[in-house]
Amino acid sequence: MKRITILTGHYGSGKSEIAINLAIQDELNALIDLDIINPYFRSRSARKLLEANGIELIESTIENSAGSDLPFISAKGSRPFVNSDLRAVYDLGGTKHGAKVMMQFRDFIKNRDEIDFLVVVNIYRPETDQAKKIIQMVEELEATSQIRVTGFINNSNLMEYTDESMIEEGERILKEAAGTLNLPIVYTFIEEHVKTTKRYAGDNRVLIRYLAKQWL
Amino acid sequence: MAKVLMKGNEAMALAAIKGGCDAFFGYPITPQNEIPEYLSYHMQEHGRVFVQAESEVAAINMVYGAAGAGARVLTSSSSPGIALKQEGISYIVGSELPAVIINVMRGGPGLGGIQPSQGDYNQVTRGGGNGDYHLLAFAPETLQETVDIVKQSFDLADYYRNPVMIAVDGLIGQMMEPVDIDKEVEQKTLEEKTWASDGTSGKRGRVNKIVSLHLDPYDLEKHNLKLKAKYDEMVEKEQRYEMIDTDDAEIVIVAYGSMARIARSAVKELRNEGVKVGIIRPITIWPFPEKAFDELPESVHTLLTVEMSLGQMLQDVKIVNQGRYQLEFYGRAGGVVPEASEIMDQVRKHLKGAK
Repeated sequence: MKRITILTGHYGSGKSEIAINLAIQDELNALIDLDIINPYFRSRSARKLLEANGIELIESTIENSAGSDLPFISAKGSRPFVNSDLRAVYDLGGTKHGAKVMMQFRDFIKNRDEIDFLVVVNIYRPETDQAKKIIQMVEELEATSQIRVTGFINNSNLMEYTDESMIEEGERILKEAAGTLNLPIVYTFIEEHVKTTKRYAGDNRVLIRYLAKQWL
Repeated sequence: MAKVLMKGNEAMALAAIKGGCDAFFGYPITPQNEIPEYLSYHMQEHGRVFVQAESEVAAINMVYGAAGAGARVLTSSSSPGIALKQEGISYIVGSELPAVIINVMRGGPGLGGIQPSQGDYNQVTRGGGNGDYHLLAFAPETLQETVDIVKQSFDLADYYRNPVMIAVDGLIGQMMEPVDIDKEVEQKTLEEKTWASDGTSGKRGRVNKIVSLHLDPYDLEKHNLKLKAKYDEMVEKEQRYEMIDTDDAEIVIVAYGSMARIARSAVKELRNEGVKVGIIRPITIWPFPEKAFDELPESVHTLLTVEMSLGQMLQDVKIVNQGRYQLEFYGRAGGVVPEASEIMDQVRKHLKGAK
């Protein structure tokens, strides 16, 4: 895992849950929630859990106003780019509009080799169900963020209905897009309930849902 | 078609397209913005109309105009935005026009907040506009149910020539859930819109006027009675509800929308403990499903109404109850979403023999 992982993609692709999972599993120093798109279900809702795991949460909310939908970006968000001791994951808001926030960090980014800019894809989201749509999205994300995408995360799932065949179908479509763009699949996330012995592309990780409540 | 994973607001927007929505007029407000966002690019693909109006008031009056021309029209907003639309809604009802209105509710009053709430129950079921009128109002619980109702609502609005409102709280707008967007829904047999003011340059031999003005009181009373006949038909035919684990229940929770999802979790846990508890889940909140209360078994002694508001639906439960059962209430407001454990505590408190 590179020192800094930035997660982007369509909204509802699973960026926030993956950000929390990566931060906990890899014992990162910080999770930077830069979601200025969604009003609910953002990784900042997991503050207590993250802090209990020794992970600093840097969020795009003015302090003590979690209920605000002002698109505020904390200056602390640039810290991992400046301090090379910090290992961090960035969770961006969905679509090219959510990715735009990265532009402001351009001048802070010294060494691009330390950064993974990964597109989270769930092919069961209608906006990313074909390779050509995924390729178009990557172009849009790069254009607004001004950062080159370095790889994909296959998070193809239908929540409780997910099975092995869905992960495989996700991998098939994503490989088509990844092949065209000459990009790797860096991770495959697998729903906790899918007990599989199969190996999928990239680093295989279990996805624990921290944000979705039991009754959701 | 197979299931896809969608966000509530997106799913409602797509369902509107599938339901034959010709035109959307709206103005942004959190937490429903993905509806206009989605429609802003997908309506065009389908050769339909999307307009971001300059205000909610403008949007509802565009709905009024397009509906009057015979189009299937949608607008969406959230609580304070719906309040702004109330005058237009009253005019649409008075002019007997079909329209579909989605309300993704947030905390109030006033600007309130952006977190989920059910504080619009009165606004939805009583309305904020003038005159004797009702909207057919749905309060679905899952994305699948929401999608099915949005699709059906265009038919229902056309059938009754009356607006239909779908009221969900912000959670349902923002949550992700697998849905089958093409699931078959019941369709109405509809008559041609011979009343529509759709431009015939006088060739029709009569003038189709869209008005809510009736200056002669006897004429206006006749018009009111005509509207009332429609509401009587809705009360008779359109009540929808779900009875959950009520067969042997002693306490029955009354809850709708997201609150019903949380109540389900509470009931599941309590049933494991041997507590006899069930749920009446209103799917229509107007007409209020009074028929559900006639289906309760003799074992019931208490109805516990739970809301993400401070006792609005409780008033309807009181009207329907007519002294039959002990009534209890639990509510959170302002965007606070109760945990299942809070509802479990309330149920335990009202069990017979509880101290």
